[in-house]
Amino acid sequence: MAERSYKTDALVLSSRPLGEADRLIELLTWERGKLSAVARGARKTKSRLAAGVDLFTYGHYQLHRGRSLDLITGQEVKEHFTAFREDASLYPFGLFLAELAGRLVRSEEPAPETCRLLLEGWRLLCGKDLDLTGRMLLCRAFELKMMSSTGFRPHLENCLLCHAPETLYFSPSQGGLLCRRCAGGDAVRLSAGTAALARRLLQAPLEQVKMLRPLAQQLRELAAIAAAFRRYHFDIGELRSLQLIKLLNPPSR
Amino acid sequence: MSFPEPLQKLIDEFSRFPGIGPKTAQRLSFFLLSRPREEAAALARAILEAKDKLFFCSLCGCLTEKDPCRYCSDPRRDQKLFCVVQEPRDVLRLEQTGHYHGLYHVLHGALSPLDGLGPEELRLPQLLQRLVEKEAEELIVATNPNVEGDATAAYIASLVKPLNIKVTRIAFGLPVGGDLEYADDLTLSRALEGRREM
Repeated sequence: MAERSYKTDALVLSSRPLGEADRLIELLTWERGKLSAVARGARKTKSRLAAGVDLFTYGHYQLHRGRSLDLITGQEVKEHFTAFREDASLYPFGLFLAELAGRLVRSEEPAPETCRLLLEGWRLLCGKDLDLTGRMLLCRAFELKMMSSTGFRPHLENCLLCHAPETLYFSPSQGGLLCRRCAGGDAVRLSAGTAALARRLLQAPLEQVKMLRPLAQQLRELAAIAAAFRRYHFDIGELRSLQLIKLLNPPSR
Repeated sequence: MSFPEPLQKLIDEFSRFPGIGPKTAQRLSFFLLSRPREEAAALARAILEAKDKLFFCSLCGCLTEKDPCRYCSDPRRDQKLFCVVQEPRDVLRLEQTGHYHGLYHVLHGALSPLDGLGPEELRLPQLLQRLVEKEAEELIVATNPNVEGDATAAYIASLVKPLNIKVTRIAFGLPVGGDLEYADDLTLSRALEGRREM
């Protein structure tokens, strides 16, 4: 018979009020993927669970299997990402990473790569090294890597139909770059610089985003093809955190 | 087992309340049935009266039976001091302390895009307008001390500081009666940051 209690390291993806004083938590774990759990009494000021079940927390959790939802019985915080609380313009970037991870990872499926990426992403965002461009690039890199880790890696090396090295288009439905001869359907123009940038973001470690200096046009193209690719291949609807990123971080004129 | 239709209807209605499951709904229904008719009628009247007579104050957004509410229309309150809270019930909670004598502003939520709450859904333009009109000197941000509340506080500060109005955040620290030993790191570090001279 399976143990009723278990322990796991996890990242808190969301934390919502439930009933009188409880919280419904969505955890991303290395071994069990995404899971929902209840933290009883976590909204009371003297709760010992409260600090560990807030969004943007990395911690070690003790849980008890319930009939429908598991119960959090203990927690030990390993890392609080407090910068997301203190900087309103940074907050939606952390949310974007959490929202995307939450939508793409399934329950009961190990997600070590996503956990590693999310932890690294939150750490980089909370560091002092990234300006607005760096934050935007980090989101794109995280998105490309997440889609790749779930089996939908965009083809960014050459034309995915004839393998010609020179590409000018990106097709969301076909899943990659196309040359002038093969382009058709939903293919959109994509500059060579943006294609190279996307390749770099997909292959290089996340932390390298701070060394890149893309043009505003490249950032716009990248966001557009990432969104189109996500819409076509993942049935996850619009990401709400993206709207807040745009609202709180208007492009400078 | 099925209940008589009027009883089932009552149970179903109670079940719609937050935190009330089917068992509690049954218990409440049986309790109500065991009481005299007048008590049930008084309860029904109280529900309808609250529903009919209460609404949100057009100025501060708290629950009231007259507009403007008793806080906004009280000239004895400090007209230059504002306190912003998330929900109308937070106003009542602060009033119970008897320690605050300024004006209120209720946001009706906190920044939480995953729940569909962005800056446009909060009553922020009204707040800025009131602060300017009243020539406010201080704004106390008393949103909840969680991620959404803190991010909302940071956002409000970024909007209000350019108006040359002092923006303060309610203090964070140890709950009265609690043991230091059981406090979490974040609360303890905030309590240390917010320490004051004795």
